[in-house]
Amino acid sequence: MYRASLLFILLALLTAACSSASVPIGDVPDLPPTTPSKIQELLATSEQPVVLNVWASWCIPCRSEAPLLRTAHAESGTEVRFVGIDVDDSQQGAREFIAEFGLDGFEHYFDAQGEVPAHLGGRGVPLTFFYAPGGELIHLHSGVIDERTLALQVDEIKRLADG
Amino acid sequence: MEFTLLWSVLLAVLALYAVLWWEAKRGNALDCTRDLWDIALGAAIAGLAVGRVTSMILGGVNPITHPGDILIVRSGVDTAAASIAALTVFGWLARKDLWATADALAAPVMAGLAGWHASCTMRDICAGTPGDLPWAITTPGGSVGRHPVEMYAVILFIIAAVGLALWKRRVPKAGVVGSSALFVASLIRLITEPLRLSLGSGPWPWYLTGTLIGAGVLVWRLRSEQPTSLDR
Repeated sequence: MYRASLLFILLALLTAACSSASVPIGDVPDLPPTTPSKIQELLATSEQPVVLNVWASWCIPCRSEAPLLRTAHAESGTEVRFVGIDVDDSQQGAREFIAEFGLDGFEHYFDAQGEVPAHLGGRGVPLTFFYAPGGELIHLHSGVIDERTLALQVDEIKRLADG
Repeated sequence: MEFTLLWSVLLAVLALYAVLWWEAKRGNALDCTRDLWDIALGAAIAGLAVGRVTSMILGGVNPITHPGDILIVRSGVDTAAASIAALTVFGWLARKDLWATADALAAPVMAGLAGWHASCTMRDICAGTPGDLPWAITTPGGSVGRHPVEMYAVILFIIAAVGLALWKRRVPKAGVVGSSALFVASLIRLITEPLRLSLGSGPWPWYLTGTLIGAGVLVWRLRSEQPTSLDR
């Protein structure tokens, strides 16, 4: 019993150590508020393809897919614009989420009423939209995204931008 | 959309059970199928759990403070950790008759892996890197022809399942069919990996390791003086 307890404590410490915040929360500013029309304009005028992820700090599946999105951004962030829309959330929760997962490389916007996803044609959280340059919707993924879908759709919108 | 991964699990389990049932009357001892089913399922669940927790830790999520995240398997399972855990648990569960159990499960596991990959048709993720071969496919809304890499894997795993089932009937030395399964499964993933789209460099070093270990064990079993799988 003693050994099992010791092992559990060591495991807890190890996992806690592995799970430290990626960036200090003090480095994450408040998110600028947005509206459906502003996002529509952002998409229409973007010269790069866009991955638009709808998330919230209280959403467990969003926590789960955040590391994949961070990896995709690290790999394709120079060719693809990564936009995050935080919905139905608080500024403090949003900043903690961004700091914890190191998602400060994204362009994040604050949508307190959750109007943007409905306007874009999605329901629920999380959602991931993939847009060609100019704002044409290529793919909408509802729910938590997996690595293969994310890699495939990012590759697809990059090729549309090239071609 | 949220639960499409269940199709993968369902197809894998159905294919595994179908071949296990079919094999029960041919190559395996008649009374061992239930044990084999329990062992396969136990190893798979352990692999899934360990792979998921490892993926969470590597992604910066603490599984102790966020236990609910463990259930969201779809966002990532670390392949290497899952494989090591599944093989370890398999070895422990089958410790009384390791080689015979490995031989008996070889073809069903290949079929299960074929079922797992075949579920790509339900999730629209069969496509891999771009290719202009006649059988290239496009993604919904996409314009680029791509290799149906998951279907390549399905075909190869089916060939492996049939080949191992037929080979087992020729009663090779104990452990030969089981180690061949490890070698072939790793090799299939290794040769299809360059055609697969993934984030980062992909887990190909682990597939290479699995291939080498499988080949090593296969050579060892071929040279051994052990009795055959059915000499029990």
